[in-house]
Amino acid sequence: MDIDTLYALRSSSGLPSHPAIFLVLLVLTWALHMIAVHVMLGSTALALTGAFSSNANWRRLAGPMLDTAKVAVSIAIVIGVAPLLFVQVIYDPFWYVSNVLSARWAIAFIVVLLVAYWAMYHHYFVGKEGGSATSRWSLAVSLALLLAAGFIMHALTSQALRPELWMAWYAPEGHLETAGSGIHEFNLGRYLFFIVLAAPVTGAWLLGCRRYLDRREPNDAPYLDWLAGLGNKLMTVGGFAALICYAAWMATLPGSAAGFPVSLWSIGANAAILLLILTPALFRSASGGYGPFATATGAILLIATAREALRHRILFGTHGYELSTYAVNLDWYSNALFCLTFAGVGGFAIAYSVAIAWEAGKTPAVYTASPRVDRLGGFALAALVVWIAQYFFFGFLVMTR
Amino acid sequence: MDNSNEILGLYPTWYQPALGSGWVLGIIAVIHVLASHTSVGAALVSTWLATVAVRRNRPELLEYVRRYGVFLLVFSYVLGSITGPGIWFSATVASPRGLSALIHSYVWWWATEWVFFFIEVVGIYLLVYLAGKVDGRSYLKIAWIFGLASWATMLIIVGILSFMMWPGQERWFTEGGTLNGFFGLYTFAQILSRTCFMLMAAALAGGLIAAYLRDGAFRLEMTRKLAWVGILGAVLGAVFFQWGLTTLPESAQLLMKTRLPGSFVPAMWAILTAIVIYFFALLLRPGTLNAPLAAGMMVGLLIFGIWPEERARESMRKPYVAGQFVYSNQIIARDVPALGVKSELPALEARGMLALHPFMPEHLRQIGEGNELEAGHALAIVYCSNCHGLGTTGTRPFGEMFAGNRDAADIERFIKGALVTGNMVNMPRIPLHDDEAHALAQFIASLPLWHSITR
Repeated sequence: MDIDTLYALRSSSGLPSHPAIFLVLLVLTWALHMIAVHVMLGSTALALTGAFSSNANWRRLAGPMLDTAKVAVSIAIVIGVAPLLFVQVIYDPFWYVSNVLSARWAIAFIVVLLVAYWAMYHHYFVGKEGGSATSRWSLAVSLALLLAAGFIMHALTSQALRPELWMAWYAPEGHLETAGSGIHEFNLGRYLFFIVLAAPVTGAWLLGCRRYLDRREPNDAPYLDWLAGLGNKLMTVGGFAALICYAAWMATLPGSAAGFPVSLWSIGANAAILLLILTPALFRSASGGYGPFATATGAILLIATAREALRHRILFGTHGYELSTYAVNLDWYSNALFCLTFAGVGGFAIAYSVAIAWEAGKTPAVYTASPRVDRLGGFALAALVVWIAQYFFFGFLVMTR
Repeated sequence: MDNSNEILGLYPTWYQPALGSGWVLGIIAVIHVLASHTSVGAALVSTWLATVAVRRNRPELLEYVRRYGVFLLVFSYVLGSITGPGIWFSATVASPRGLSALIHSYVWWWATEWVFFFIEVVGIYLLVYLAGKVDGRSYLKIAWIFGLASWATMLIIVGILSFMMWPGQERWFTEGGTLNGFFGLYTFAQILSRTCFMLMAAALAGGLIAAYLRDGAFRLEMTRKLAWVGILGAVLGAVFFQWGLTTLPESAQLLMKTRLPGSFVPAMWAILTAIVIYFFALLLRPGTLNAPLAAGMMVGLLIFGIWPEERARESMRKPYVAGQFVYSNQIIARDVPALGVKSELPALEARGMLALHPFMPEHLRQIGEGNELEAGHALAIVYCSNCHGLGTTGTRPFGEMFAGNRDAADIERFIKGALVTGNMVNMPRIPLHDDEAHALAQFIASLPLWHSITR
């Protein structure tokens, strides 16, 4: 596809804000989505290991990890909606073509994810007391399907970066192939890299858990120490594995991305992985802590930025595709609506939800909210009421104009 | 950069011969509507019940809210949260430019809905896991934040769906502005009718939980409460739905009268009547409630209520798929001066689809003796396959069109008389060149042969 065609494939409706805003949000929300995905994969793998293990610590860990996995799938899906939205807005020519060319896989993604989620719930409900043989295997099926869903996403993203091959995929030997049944492009190194990162991120999560549990169950030192040891090991060993996969990815980049492995962006990604490896030493985290998870979040954000830089290198460097030339039809109302809702309604509601869940989790008895937490809830509720009122106010204003 | 004279921004086509891409999208959408309607309605019902439970200090009611929440988590939230993006995925492959037009105009509204969706998902976990573990005042706050956030997701999506049918204000075409596209009478009618139907769906789903209650008296009380919610939801929903139909433009009304199967209206009334009778029966004899009956009613609502309703909505906006400017076959058919959008029909009229489609093999750009059937097939793929099966399967298959007539000349006459001129109210105008119309007619006439070759 030449650059004129790529530009023609852009939406003629344009964008309601400058593309740079969507780009920043895309990177940010994708990074947050991936952290949830990593915790989801890591906790499912740990729950699975625990379900099949005879070791008391592993078996004990399996329960909370299954709970974590269940919530993490939800959070991963919910946050994943945002990058899915933003990628369609600024990279529509690439995303839509790639999806159509593998349409059956794009649809299969939904079914695969659904079965994976329900299989996890099957183990949760049937296998509460350690799991029956069947439910343990359903958890294994769940993990396998989650990995398959990730692979489909990976393939769709990879295909989007190869406009020069689209026509050959759509009309091999000049004849239209409209079934959308093929996976046309993938990079095993890249896929494994993003999967393997689940180990250090989950390791950091375990270190946070150790700290959290320490306050609630201070007499449980042997188990908590074991937990911290596992977290540290996952961070270091997983970090090294990620480094190897990253090298494999870089070694197999297409010619259109030549030079990227030695770019500043790539050096930044390497530094982020090294940071994950060194985190246990840096934080002396035998007793756990929240610092490692905050560090892991920062590292994933750096990696997400490097990933976006690679996309830019390929689309702009090779094909001349400039994001900044996307037509803008500024819409002030919807811009303001999102910003105020995000900061006001979302900010208060999520802060309140996290605060009350956090405090209630630490309290063995019934938790009575502190005045501060209670006030936060009041603000969240008031912000919601104001939001609904403005919706109808502007609605009637438009109708009566 | 404007390349409208050189090449059009048309995507490759996904053709699904067994079902049709529209049906794949429809199936996912209908499942999503059931799950999302149930979850929004249930959020409102749960907020009400949680308020009663806390104010009157009734722990058994709180336990009902918790169990209802667990059911919602496993059913509505898993199914709803996955099929939600699922609609995007299926629309991406079935109707990329229609979806793109919506997303590029309403991205910030969707992002705002995402904020509420996030609050809602966190809220359902809190509602379930903090039941009985926090003080009553806090639990009430959690319930109300959850309920209102859930309803707000509906407020946003209803406006986008309304725009999909018809921009709220005619001036949207010239002035732009998402508010102008979002708000019209139809938007408000939908808010009312959907809220009521959501409460009805929630009452049906709540029956499933009530059926498992062991405390007989409490079970009867819950069954009666839910029955009243269901009756009010069904009756008021039907009233507002009727009002919503009157707010639609004349062309949509015409399409509804002429293009929908005769069974549509009776089927809708039948399912509503059955649901109202069901709830009245529960009021009179609440002891008859059981899980298979409640589940059966939900499946009935899905198959006989939501499916035909969604199909009708789809039919009424034909030949457009979004905002009355993107045709169902993905071609932009109308100028939208406010956005700088230009109709692609003049370019197609001047140069033809084969010349302008970016994903057309080079040997099909010109029609000659050796490629006529293949060019006809390519035209059918681009122009027709969104709505028609190109054989004997899928939706409205060509094999069953033209009353079995396979005379190429007759088919070509029809194409030139009705389609090239845009004389069919429910079909897009298809500005084929003479040689393109001839090739398409040859392809349709040769369908049995073509199928035997390509099967």
